[in-house]
Amino acid sequence: MNAALTWARLSFRQQRWELILVVVGTAIVAGVMLWFADALTAMIAANPGCLPTTDSGPAPSCVAVVNSYYETQGWADQLLLFSFAAPFGMGVLLGAPLVAREIDGGTAQLAWTLSRSRVTWLLRRIAFVATVVALLLGVLAVTSEVLAAALWPESDLAHDFTYIGRRGWLIVARGMGALGLGLLVGALVGRVLPAILASALVIGLAFTGLSLLHDRWLRADAVVWDQATQVLEHGSMYLDSGIRTADGTIYTWSEAHELGLDASYIDERGQMFASEADMVAGRTLGTDIAFVVPGSRYPTEVLRQGAVAGGLALGALGLAALVVRRRRPV
Amino acid sequence: MNVLEATGLAKRYRRWVWALAGIDLDIPAGGVTALVGPNAAGKSTLIKTWVGFEKPTRGSAAVMGIDPWRDRSRALANIGYVPQSPALYDGLSVEDHLDLAVQLRHGFDRDAARARLDQLGIPRAAGARSLSGGQQAQVALALALGTRAPILLLDEPLASLDPLARREFLHVVSDAVRTDGTTVLLSSHIVTDVEQACDRLIVLGVGQVLLHETVAEALGRHGIAAGELAGAVATFRGPDGAPLSLVRGAGERPATLEELVLGYLASGRPGGASAAVAAA
Repeated sequence: MNAALTWARLSFRQQRWELILVVVGTAIVAGVMLWFADALTAMIAANPGCLPTTDSGPAPSCVAVVNSYYETQGWADQLLLFSFAAPFGMGVLLGAPLVAREIDGGTAQLAWTLSRSRVTWLLRRIAFVATVVALLLGVLAVTSEVLAAALWPESDLAHDFTYIGRRGWLIVARGMGALGLGLLVGALVGRVLPAILASALVIGLAFTGLSLLHDRWLRADAVVWDQATQVLEHGSMYLDSGIRTADGTIYTWSEAHELGLDASYIDERGQMFASEADMVAGRTLGTDIAFVVPGSRYPTEVLRQGAVAGGLALGALGLAALVVRRRRPV
Repeated sequence: MNVLEATGLAKRYRRWVWALAGIDLDIPAGGVTALVGPNAAGKSTLIKTWVGFEKPTRGSAAVMGIDPWRDRSRALANIGYVPQSPALYDGLSVEDHLDLAVQLRHGFDRDAARARLDQLGIPRAAGARSLSGGQQAQVALALALGTRAPILLLDEPLASLDPLARREFLHVVSDAVRTDGTTVLLSSHIVTDVEQACDRLIVLGVGQVLLHETVAEALGRHGIAAGELAGAVATFRGPDGAPLSLVRGAGERPATLEELVLGYLASGRPGGASAAVAAA
């Protein structure tokens, strides 16, 4: 216990301002999220005849209430951008300076000669910051879920791709990945400000790359949805549109375009035509379809993305340990 | 037994800067060895190689027979180190530093470190930032001594201290040698500082060992003669600007430690013994 307190004290004093900024920022965002969630829920409860809205549109007596609800919903929706950005921000602000400040300030010389193992030092040094990041992002994970539930009260969010990456435990996993990358960049660069700038770039690039990778995986998981005849599974993620030709071949829109299958008209049964004349003559190009990932895949996808982010965190931590073992302390 | 060894040790930075040019050194156990040389002589590089901070480009270094680059953990177990600038944690108190040392180093003697700091009147509750340069150096020394390591490597810890702080620092070092039998290697480019505390002298110049003897032997084997003498170790200018030659043997009068060091440093300059260098 005493040992943990010593390391916590050291970590806090070394990164006092960043930690205060992150804790206060998280508290404010989490508080505002809960306030908005409560406000949205209260609006629905107070106006059961008007809310939630229906496809047929609000009754004249409900217009003012519905407009107010939409406005509140719009603000609440923006709040979820914070829970999307928070993991990356924490990785940059708390990960990058962790080792860089020790090297920059010369204290690495003291610590690395007192400690017989630099890897042990690194693990002890990061424990407090990693715990704080996990706790803060855990708070955001919960409050973002509460807010999302208030935004979509009739959704089963456990099986819904809406706001993926902006709510739930994926935020925590991404935060750990970003923290690991920040730590690695800081250990490599060894100076605080350049490390912060470089880690922002590296974290941005890494997660953009991962996003592209996840997109590829999602495409592999996608199913074809016949837009005219099938009911879309609730919470599905829409990926792309396409066409199913008469012989059953499926093309995306861009593939169809390359083959000269340009549809300009579509009828109520989802049949697609190249021209009005074709439509009148019944010469169809094919059926309007879409590629979607069913909402039931959401838990699996979150688990997969979380595992990748966790793997990134462990990989970056391992590399950071390697760098710390080998590098000069100045 | 030699506790610190260097065999053909060379260290190159980037592609062309040789900080150490293949030196051989053996430092026996016990006593205080002064490592003297001008800036960029390679003193810090040599010490950092023994600490395991630098990988030799060629040759090898050993601490109690252990290669510090290959087996840093075992080598460090034998070393207490004080860097050029104490580099304490700004936000931590002196006592926090002792707590941290206990966590980092198994067997760290906190009581001894506390006693040493109390003796020097350094408030343990004070933040490191509020301490004077001399007090910070003393805290760094107390941390190094608290490790109870048999070897203490001091990398120019006196450079930024006032004369009184230097004297107090050296007093603590001498005390540790006397009571614990610690082997101390003290690097400095200020000869008068090391004169009072050292019993062995290494003069390092441009990456090479120019002299390595006990202080008594070195002083006994050298003398000073006025003017520029052929066959002298080197010629340099005295305080009045007149040339003085450091010679092997008695000379006209015994050499002081400062003259001995100046002579060997002059011999290490381009042109060697014939070069006249200005006295500090």
